[in-house]
Amino acid sequence: MKNKYIFGGVIAVVFLGMMIFLFTKSNIQYESDFDKVMSSDRTIKATGSWVKEKSYEVNKSDRTFAFYMKDAAGHEMKVIYAGTIPNNFESAQSIVVTGQYKNGNFHAKDILTKCPSKYQDKQSAAANS
Amino acid sequence: MAGSILITLALAFSIFSMVMYFFTYRGAKNTLNIARMSYHAMAMLVIIASAFLMYLIITHQYQYEYVYSYSNDDLPFGFLLSTFWAGQQGSFMLWLFVTALIGVFLQSYTGKRDDLEPRVMMFFTLSTTFLLAMVSPLMKNPFAYIWAEPMFLETAKINSIYLNSAFMQNFMFNDPNSGQTFVKMSKDLYATLQGAGISVNQFIIHGKGLNPLLQNFWMQIHPPILFAGFAMTTVPFSFAMAALLKNDYKDWVRQSFPWILAGSGILGLGIMLGGYWAYGVLGWGGYWAWDPVENASLVPWLISVAGIHTMIVQRKTQAKGGMGKFVKTNLLLSILAYVMVLYSTFLTRSGVLGDASVHSFVDPGAIVYLFLIIFVGTFLLLGVGMIIYRWRYLESQIVDEESLLARELALFTATVTLGASALIVAVGTSAPIFKQSVETRFYNEMHVPLAIIIGLLNGFSFLLKWRHSSGEDILKKSKFSLIATGVFALLIILFGKVYDVMMILLSVSAAFAFFVNAEIAYKIFTGNKKMLGAYIAHIGFSLFILGVVGSSAYSKQVEVDLTKGKPVQILGHTLEFTSYNPIENNTKYEFNVSVKDGDGKGEARVIKPIMFISAFNNSLMREPDILEGFTKDFYISPLSYEDGSNIENKPQGNAVTLMPNEKTSVEGAQLTYTDFIKPDMSVMMGGGNFQMGAKLTVTKNGKTETIEALMKKSEQGVTFVPVELKDADLRIELTKIDPTSKKAELIVGKLSMPVVTTQPAEVLAVNASTKPFISLVWIGVAVVVIGFFVSTLRRLKESWA
Repeated sequence: MKNKYIFGGVIAVVFLGMMIFLFTKSNIQYESDFDKVMSSDRTIKATGSWVKEKSYEVNKSDRTFAFYMKDAAGHEMKVIYAGTIPNNFESAQSIVVTGQYKNGNFHAKDILTKCPSKYQDKQSAAANS
Repeated sequence: MAGSILITLALAFSIFSMVMYFFTYRGAKNTLNIARMSYHAMAMLVIIASAFLMYLIITHQYQYEYVYSYSNDDLPFGFLLSTFWAGQQGSFMLWLFVTALIGVFLQSYTGKRDDLEPRVMMFFTLSTTFLLAMVSPLMKNPFAYIWAEPMFLETAKINSIYLNSAFMQNFMFNDPNSGQTFVKMSKDLYATLQGAGISVNQFIIHGKGLNPLLQNFWMQIHPPILFAGFAMTTVPFSFAMAALLKNDYKDWVRQSFPWILAGSGILGLGIMLGGYWAYGVLGWGGYWAWDPVENASLVPWLISVAGIHTMIVQRKTQAKGGMGKFVKTNLLLSILAYVMVLYSTFLTRSGVLGDASVHSFVDPGAIVYLFLIIFVGTFLLLGVGMIIYRWRYLESQIVDEESLLARELALFTATVTLGASALIVAVGTSAPIFKQSVETRFYNEMHVPLAIIIGLLNGFSFLLKWRHSSGEDILKKSKFSLIATGVFALLIILFGKVYDVMMILLSVSAAFAFFVNAEIAYKIFTGNKKMLGAYIAHIGFSLFILGVVGSSAYSKQVEVDLTKGKPVQILGHTLEFTSYNPIENNTKYEFNVSVKDGDGKGEARVIKPIMFISAFNNSLMREPDILEGFTKDFYISPLSYEDGSNIENKPQGNAVTLMPNEKTSVEGAQLTYTDFIKPDMSVMMGGGNFQMGAKLTVTKNGKTETIEALMKKSEQGVTFVPVELKDADLRIELTKIDPTSKKAELIVGKLSMPVVTTQPAEVLAVNASTKPFISLVWIGVAVVVIGFFVSTLRRLKESWA
């Protein structure tokens, strides 16, 4: 037997196994349909946009930040994020929140704001009308 | 126009050079000089084109879309440099520029070594050809004119004397959402301006500016170094392909070695500078967040470093004749490192990771997307195809069995471990393609055991001899390191209070590696210093791991409100928010926080986190400030600031903002804004007394009440009438109401909680954290990089042999 195959093989098998296990355990799916987000109890990355017509609230005492998000079909949900209002929030074109839907609200532990002007500009859609 | 012509010409020369090198390889006699000249012409054109782009940026030529989109006339010279690589077009240009320069040195290097030049340069010019095609007028051309594609410009960017001209009427558009007016820049407007004798540069007088996150020193040096690292991976790839082409695998390792070492050093430095930027400017609180863009640069580095370890074995085992061991592994890793650079580029530039990264890259369009796939596919198929084609021959050359206690096997295991790390990062980063994603703990938990193995190998392999070692010998050699490691372990458990088993194992394995390497390095320091490279790099790596353990596993953080003038004790420091002051022409605000050690005696140092509203993207930007020290950093990231001026006599409670028909739940009650109470408009306009407000229904404990939260205007001024609900224990007060949008702002609190009427305070909310031994992260990486460069010098000498 070749030692290198034993050594390499053992490491490869152990780590592949660990990787598959951890991957399934820490895996989070993207979901852009809020109907599905609201009917699931798993941790999800929900993608949508901020409902600008509805205001947002910053709660100082328990340090949460709440706002409304909608998906492409117009389904809305309230998002409560455990943290302060992120940089770039007002100008965000789309938002990705990671968390769970519970008791009528989406509780986000992570928020990602995507700002159109950061790398490329796409304001033509808005200004075209 | 000139820029596009330069690029197109360079592309033609690059293709021509590649074809001529191919003919030379096939035995043509007088094509080599033509190929060289074409390469130099291409490189010259690329340098001129880059200088031209820089010139356009510095002189604010806003008729170019790229210059308009990423710069402005108020930027200082240093930040105008950053504009060069702030966008996709420019960063491809930077990559091309560095690649073309490296090629000049590579041509001279290979030209002096047998028949190497045509074989290597053939593949290298294939790479420059693809990069040139990428920035050509068909794709991501930095020299595209602003009118080439219709684009909407803010009126503030336009010279105001033209805005009211009659010919402008057809090109002005209103955005109903924001109420802003835009000018539609298009071929039509260009023709109209031409007709009126106005140059575009007179017409557009400001650019959009540069993202404030990129306006700092680190973003001036991180991208060029990172792209130099990317470009360097092209070289080992070309050497591997050249070896496969000739079916001769003896010399390529020696010749490729200095390049892969230097490349890994440069790429490592580039990655670290990016990490420092994230730590010091972005305010992440850390240097690494497993963001796809970071991972994308890490994977090629891991593969290159994995390759280096088995390349050493191949070199060493060649001494007995033959091509040496692990030839297939080395070829594959050299090829994969470059392919992974291209794959990373695909991931970060094609828009597939759109939702996964803070670097919001926008879909570049179908043509570029397809081209990126072809780019990656070509190099992957070429590389892997060649290995498969030569597989049988390579199999037949396998040499004898090695002993278990030999350095060869330890190094091979190191390669497998580093390869496993690369695979883990690549799999996690690719997950969003399949609409999946992983939490960061996937990377963290996978890497703890990997790093322990790496630490043990890092120490152990240097105790092993080539071919075979005796157990006795190893024990004798490791005496000092084992004792020192034991002492270290006791120290961190007793004094460092490190109790987590995995963290102890990780620190101990890193410390063991440190002591082994330090002992050997000390012994050979008086001898041939060129041999020190490997030990320096490995010492650096073990310091780095210790820094990672300290700063990640033992970092503490708290969010705290700092009221002006009131010292607060947290994390072993006493903080006091003293004042704030405007900086940089009143565009930013510096918040002065005085920090004292312990309970507040002793000398105060001031740290100054910054917050500002950026005109570039109309958002609140925050910059942290750090009190740096060798044993720990004290990190302050600002969250928010209340100046206290407009919240006088503010009742305790939650701020709630509602639109008509909107619901919210607060303090255990359901609140619905049912109706807007209209003011008498004529009285209001006339300046008389009026009232307006919000009609609300409040449901708590199954009871529903309807209330009116009112704002009253009288001769005494504006007053808000609080509503008190005894049963529900609620106090609801209007603080602001807007008659046009009907938006109501309310304070909802518990009645049982007294209304505090203290003087309003200035409050700065911050996130404070301590990062033990984070300095070792930077020192460690810097030492690794030095190690790579020392090794490069040594292997450069050997490459002649």
